[in-house]
Amino acid sequence: MFSSNRAVKLSEQLMVPQFICSVVELIINRALSLSNKPITLSAIENKTFTLELAELNFPLSITVSNNVLLVNSTNSTSDCTLISSIATLRQLKAQQQLTELIKQEQLDIQGDIKVAQQFARIAEELDIDWPTEVARHIGDVPTHKIGQLSQKAKKSISQLFETLEADVGEFLIHEKRLAVTNSEIKRFNQGVEQTSDQLTRIESRLAALENRLNDSQ
Amino acid sequence: MSSVEKNSTPSQVQNDANSVADNTTHFGFQTIDKEEKISKVAGVFHSVAKQYDVMNDLMSFGIHRLWKRFTIDASGVRPGNKVLDLAGGTGDLTAKFSQLVGKEGQVILADINSSMLNVGRDKLRDRGLVQNIEYVQANAEYLPFEENTFDIVTIAFGLRNVTDKDKALRSIFSVLKPGGRLLVLEFSKPEHEVLNKAYDFYSFNILPKMGELVAKDGESYQYLAESIRMHPNQETLKEMMENAGFEQTSYKNLTGGIVALHKGYKF
Repeated sequence: MFSSNRAVKLSEQLMVPQFICSVVELIINRALSLSNKPITLSAIENKTFTLELAELNFPLSITVSNNVLLVNSTNSTSDCTLISSIATLRQLKAQQQLTELIKQEQLDIQGDIKVAQQFARIAEELDIDWPTEVARHIGDVPTHKIGQLSQKAKKSISQLFETLEADVGEFLIHEKRLAVTNSEIKRFNQGVEQTSDQLTRIESRLAALENRLNDSQ
Repeated sequence: MSSVEKNSTPSQVQNDANSVADNTTHFGFQTIDKEEKISKVAGVFHSVAKQYDVMNDLMSFGIHRLWKRFTIDASGVRPGNKVLDLAGGTGDLTAKFSQLVGKEGQVILADINSSMLNVGRDKLRDRGLVQNIEYVQANAEYLPFEENTFDIVTIAFGLRNVTDKDKALRSIFSVLKPGGRLLVLEFSKPEHEVLNKAYDFYSFNILPKMGELVAKDGESYQYLAESIRMHPNQETLKEMMENAGFEQTSYKNLTGGIVALHKGYKF
């Protein structure tokens, strides 16, 4: 408890929440300005959506003001608060998971769920032409080369995964039947130990017999 | 106007800080007539206004932006609030408040110095922030607003330049609505001795040289370092706020106490 309080105090003194909020704010607004499809925020003007993630000890509140998204670390005026974790948010991509996750108490939504949906729509509508953006900074030819290289890398990685998947599948179907299981290894080890014990006993009996024979002579 | 100027060491002046005669005050480490401080401080800010933002980023390595964000987060500002950004200078806090209070709210950027106010006004207008901001040239000791006007008053890196801080705090108290709060963001006393020494070295050796190089005005930045040392420490400022009538006063040290955010309510 004490160390957790100390961590919170240190994080506050070093203004970690403010730093994270300013980085997130910068990234989101930059992404919005790069989108090919203009994104209208007027429907959620002055609305605030708050994310309370288990991994962070402060909330992330996003407010729309004058077509700009403002991010801060308070939730005093939130219209909708989503309490969850980063891992659970990944599962949220599949919409049918929402009810299931709420039932499992991995996710909680407080306030107007429509606000959460409207904010989620912004992320879905983002359409950024990355090659054009990169070309603006480094030129067309390097961008084309980078594009080709990344396509090749993507292809190689996907081939690697396909091979790996096939190998694993084959192993599971054919090799697994022949492969030694844990219990078999255990039984084998027990057998080796028993044989070793028996051998020790025979050795000692032979030694005793040899001694008796020597004495009688 | 005759001045009773004298130069003292930091420790001598700090010991004398509470025993200055009624008609004198401090300008950095000098003791001068109260009337003279206003024109001297004005001179400093007329001189640095154009380079103010650049110097802030350079001197604080950009951390002043986080200190200001912390202040906004602590203010509990809501849409529709009326905010006074006192000694608001180039308008960093005003810009954020303007976005957060929305169309129904209002932000007044007030500064005693016309050059700072002009730089702030130009900057905010260039950013398209016009609809809910007003500009007022005002002395913090005699605020030209009706009683019970504002939900929030902030003064960031301004109180130490005010001649009569107690009078300014009383004036702020008067213009706040019941339930309103004052946030004072100001340089303070570092909590650890090692940090204090390093900070002293930086302030008196590096900072004035940086000012000389970038703003072509080393003296103003020498004053900045001296005025920070002369500013009341965390507990003293808290007591001053309580004496002015503020309740539930508290402070939070930031960056090891180099800066502190004081908060107090009017009920």
